[in-house]
Amino acid sequence: MSFLLPKLTCKKEVDQAIKSVAEKVLVLRFGRDNDAVCLQLDDILAKTAHDLSKMAVIYLVDVNSVPVYTQYFDISYIPSTVFFFNGQHMKVDYGSPDHTKFVGSFKTKQDFIDLIEVIYRGAMRGKLIVRSPIDPKNIPKYDLLYQGI
Amino acid sequence: RPEHRRETARFWRENRAEAALRERCLVPAEEYERFAQAVERALVEHQRREEQRILQMAADIREAERRQRETVQAALQVEPELCTGPSVCRPTAGPGRDNPCAAEQPGPSGMQTGPDLAWMESGKVLTFIGHQEREGKGNVHTGAKPPWLTEEEEDGSKQQIGPSYEEFLKHKEKQKLKKLPVERVGANFDHTSQTSDSWLPSFGRVWNHGRRWQSRHQFRTESGENKKK
Repeated sequence: MSFLLPKLTCKKEVDQAIKSVAEKVLVLRFGRDNDAVCLQLDDILAKTAHDLSKMAVIYLVDVNSVPVYTQYFDISYIPSTVFFFNGQHMKVDYGSPDHTKFVGSFKTKQDFIDLIEVIYRGAMRGKLIVRSPIDPKNIPKYDLLYQGI
Repeated sequence: RPEHRRETARFWRENRAEAALRERCLVPAEEYERFAQAVERALVEHQRREEQRILQMAADIREAERRQRETVQAALQVEPELCTGPSVCRPTAGPGRDNPCAAEQPGPSGMQTGPDLAWMESGKVLTFIGHQEREGKGNVHTGAKPPWLTEEEEDGSKQQIGPSYEEFLKHKEKQKLKKLPVERVGANFDHTSQTSDSWLPSFGRVWNHGRRWQSRHQFRTESGENKKK
């Protein structure tokens, strides 16, 4: 399904997207097109993209092509999804250890839609971090292996 | 002990407390001895109980892990075609990941029924693409400068004098923007401003008295020294 969603292939394009998408949530899916969980997530993203078009813009980014971003966001598991609004990185508390990105796929399309709505509303009120509306048992579990604090 | 008694007597006299009260307040020596021994015994007992509890918990977790692995194996064998995806991912996930991940959900997922288990299984087998080592540069957790704010190369300037039609469209967009809430994120962001390296005001000094500029001054001095070195 990933051929339906636009892709960003280099650092400059990602920079451009972050700096130019205005007044909508920017969704960047970091992963690989042929990975199983990425395919699941891309499916959900593709099916909801039209309905969310007034609130969000979605792009797919291959982790191999933007090592700068992969390292900056400390992306160890794919897919990882990062959210921005007006050039500002939006953090979300999912009940998981990492608030800077969403790791894994969503269980249902509605989960993703709810999350985008919460981020959009929070951003409109000036909040830089919001709490995810998704039930914690539907959040994929993983180990946060961050070193070197 | 005799000097202790003298001191208590003196204390009683000085504060002019009743003698009868003193009898009740002083803890006789034997009582104290008994208490000390009882404390020791209770402590030993408590430690033993805690150790047992921890061993029990460890055994429970191991048991749960085993049960979970067996369930997963059974499920994978039942549906071979559907599982070629996840099982391809499994080897790339690495051996170290399997155990800690299984330990995350000892009880509940072992008891979940088929479809739910399938979703969480494939969700759990997230492809691991390695630790992102970026020593000396920092990342989003350490507050380093984000890549989209680092201006590296610029495109060659446009040949034309200026895209006036685009300007007009942007102007119309900006008119619409005035209707949006004023306190939304990024509303007054000046897109043309440059960003210095100290864009994040994190100069620590948690336990300080004094004003913020003092800790900022301190931080600047220290980082100035570092640069000169």
